[in-house]
Amino acid sequence: MKKQLLILPSLFFLFFLIIFFYLLIIDRNPSELPSTLLDKNVPKFETESLLKDEKFISSKEFGNEILLVNFFATWCKPCRDEHIYIKRFSNEKEIKVIGINYKDNPKKAIQWLKELGNPYTDVAVDKSGRIAIDWGVYGIPETFIVNSKGIIKYRHVGPVTKKIYKKINLIINESE
Amino acid sequence: MLTKDFILTKIFIIIITICLTQFFSKNCFAVEPDEILQDQKQELRARNISKNIRCMICQNQSIDESNAPLARDLRILIRNKIKEGNNNEEIYIFLTDRYGDFILLKPPFKLSTLALWFLPFIFFIVGVFIVFWHNKKSKKILKDI
Repeated sequence: MKKQLLILPSLFFLFFLIIFFYLLIIDRNPSELPSTLLDKNVPKFETESLLKDEKFISSKEFGNEILLVNFFATWCKPCRDEHIYIKRFSNEKEIKVIGINYKDNPKKAIQWLKELGNPYTDVAVDKSGRIAIDWGVYGIPETFIVNSKGIIKYRHVGPVTKKIYKKINLIINESE
Repeated sequence: MLTKDFILTKIFIIIITICLTQFFSKNCFAVEPDEILQDQKQELRARNISKNIRCMICQNQSIDESNAPLARDLRILIRNKIKEGNNNEEIYIFLTDRYGDFILLKPPFKLSTLALWFLPFIFFIVGVFIVFWHNKKSKKILKDI
């Protein structure tokens, strides 16, 4: 009986080994953090619009239909990489995408959009980064799905890849 | 002649020096002069809050130590909130509403964090029992001999 107990530590060790191995091989990003804003209303804000002469007022934009919110900047390389997918959302899927230009030079941003194509229906200017703080943003690019009631349903930190593109489409289809 | 002792002492002194420089270099801050508040009491409060707030970019640093732009923004935001007359509690709530409990370097005491807080004690008690049990057994073996 006692000799049989001796196997216990090895079993424990194996158990932990399997758990660690599992965490190692599953597809996850350890720096990605859950958003506390999920299932909550979008933060209210008012700011300049990059492309239009009028002000960007969040309460006017959100809550009418499902849309994407994308934080971007010209100085951010991954933003350039994901741009092709952001364009696909607005061109192919005809989803409204609102851009938030984070701590950027407006002139450069307009030039950037001319060069790469503009997928955004409107771009809010976040010069100081204060709007991003209200959204809990810590590393751009970040993309949010806001449903027709103005509630945040999904958040992705980092560039939209092919996989994420599919995932976002799936969530949008489910919420419609 | 270099004796073994001499070399060992030298190595020891080098190690101590490295350790001490590490210790003192902790005193350099990420807080920049233009951020610092005029009122010393308010500044101290801001520093104390900043030490408890995680920098979301370099996740094992507090915003007080981090040079990341977001950390700087949050430091300034905290200082502005203090100037506006918010108390510490309100500032912590403001930050956790946006970034979650993760932004606090010390996890709060909640139902979901009970295991986190109590497991070390439970492990300790189990450990004590195992040591006692083991000692009892070995004493018995000694007696038998």
